[in-house]
Amino acid sequence: MKEQFQARMLRVHFGESDKWHGKPLHEAIVAKCQELRIAGVIVYRGIEGYGASAHIHHAGHWGFSRDAPIMLSIIDREEQIARLMPHLDEMVDEGLIAMSDVEAIRFFRPEEVRSKA
Amino acid sequence: MLNAGKAVKVSIYLSEGSTHHGVSTYSSILDFLFYRGVSGATVLKGVAGFGADHHMHTSSTVDLSDHLPIKIEFVETRERVEELLGKLEDLAGSGMIEIQETTVAKPAQRSKAKALAPMAHRKIEGKARMMRIYIGEADRWRDKPLYQALVEAMRANDIAGVTVYKGILGYGAHRRVHRDKPLHLSHDASMMLAAVDTEEKLREFLPIVEQMVEEGLVVLSNVEIIKYSHRPIEVDLGDNSTKSGEVMA
Repeated sequence: MKEQFQARMLRVHFGESDKWHGKPLHEAIVAKCQELRIAGVIVYRGIEGYGASAHIHHAGHWGFSRDAPIMLSIIDREEQIARLMPHLDEMVDEGLIAMSDVEAIRFFRPEEVRSKA
Repeated sequence: MLNAGKAVKVSIYLSEGSTHHGVSTYSSILDFLFYRGVSGATVLKGVAGFGADHHMHTSSTVDLSDHLPIKIEFVETRERVEELLGKLEDLAGSGMIEIQETTVAKPAQRSKAKALAPMAHRKIEGKARMMRIYIGEADRWRDKPLYQALVEAMRANDIAGVTVYKGILGYGAHRRVHRDKPLHLSHDASMMLAAVDTEEKLREFLPIVEQMVEEGLVVLSNVEIIKYSHRPIEVDLGDNSTKSGEVMA
């Protein structure tokens, strides 16, 4: 089954070593998104990059360096994204947030509808 | 679905060593037929033969010949064959294509057919669309990982380029958290496929995505293509070198 809707996509860029209350920032944001029941989030780790501080982030050969660039991609309807924004403002103090309007098509198995109701 | 009655049989004659974008031609053609929902196809390998260049290729000569004849055969309705022919001619390169009237006495059981409009080779510039498909790494389609099947299906349908990304953390439709830890044997990370092409091409491909992706999210956004170039076909490198600048709304 499928459902089609207009959505917004947020891309949040920061470093892997960034923390929020002692916890990796990306984990804290994913937890916040789950709490707000945001439709979906994915965290990507880049292999190289630089951002606001012009400091080069590099993942290192064996993945031991803990300062790779991180990108979170968050997708939901506009009103849900609006609920999340103040939290992101508070949590991300150094980084970049890009927003775009997208058209989303969600595929799901029919039984999911019943369990949701 | 092929029914008993009038149909056409297509035979494509190739050389074993011929390639299309770095992959052997027969497997490119087979993938194309497979993802276009053709009822069935067979690849036959000859033991000896000669073609347009009048050079005898046999398996018995001392030098191991990689130019043995290959023949691909499939039977479909005339309309379907006409739809596929343009692309097949392109894929077959210097090979020969033969079409023969035939009669299906008994059709094979089970087949799926999705008619799709034919498409032409083109150059994309300026406004385009980006399609992102979000699935799980453990999702499968038939006997292979879904992300791999999607890439093959896109390639067979001439989508300009696609890249697969693996997330390190995420959740989606099920609120099941996918986590990819180092030294962790679970392989259920969030996967994202990003493909860039024109609106029509991606819309045309959507029914195939719908058929293959049971659960997942597809997101379409506007992008602007700044550069799309690939090496000449003779170099035989994959044509996945799409570069695009994204227009943020």
